[in-house]
Amino acid sequence: MRPTDYPTIFRITEEELDLDALLDAITLPSTGAAAIFTGMVRGVTTRGDAHETVYLEYEAYKPMAESKMKQVADEIRERWPTIEGIAVVQRIGRLYPRTPTVLIAVTSAHRDTGVFDAARYGIDRLKEIVPVWKKEVDPNGEEWIEGDYIPKAGE
Amino acid sequence: MTHVKILLFATLRERIGGAKFIELTLPDGATIQALKAQIAREYPALEQNMKSVLTTINREYAFDEAVVPDGAELAMFPPVSGG
Repeated sequence: MRPTDYPTIFRITEEELDLDALLDAITLPSTGAAAIFTGMVRGVTTRGDAHETVYLEYEAYKPMAESKMKQVADEIRERWPTIEGIAVVQRIGRLYPRTPTVLIAVTSAHRDTGVFDAARYGIDRLKEIVPVWKKEVDPNGEEWIEGDYIPKAGE
Repeated sequence: MTHVKILLFATLRERIGGAKFIELTLPDGATIQALKAQIAREYPALEQNMKSVLTTINREYAFDEAVVPDGAELAMFPPVSGG
């Protein structure tokens, strides 16, 4: 397969994340390694401000979010040209503890070609530039979570 | 005059009762900075948010000195918190 044909998935969805199907979609005859990062709703937080979470409510500026997810995938390919398939998927809506909310998966020929770093870069970058927000609902009330990254020109 | 529709998300949307967008008429050549000042005047509930809000023009991040193009898709929202 030519590099321009490598599968790239970038999607905002209200559906359950099917980790097996997403991995299958970026697995090629030439890939022998994948790194998958997934995040899920944490019901009990002990680090920092210890608290419990009833659920998170996610919303997105969908067309821009999907275009920025594509940009994250493009940046991964620029930094790690050995990466073959990429999936960047964010679930939105009301999500309860233990539910997967996001998936970043990358595939390549071998495990020593940057897959771990590329997946880490993907989730870090998503949290910087992809327009998605979450409201945390806990037993005492609700609060929008705001990030702290201010995008620069051209991002 | 430039007529614009600004999509709002997260805290900003809730602050004005859940409206998904607001519409404003600006002088031609107005910048994002001027737009923010006008929103703060016309929507006092959003005044505080204008200090830290991110703005986009046609789905790309835009900054205070950028001129608001007529007919563009604008959006305003807090720093993102996906994942």
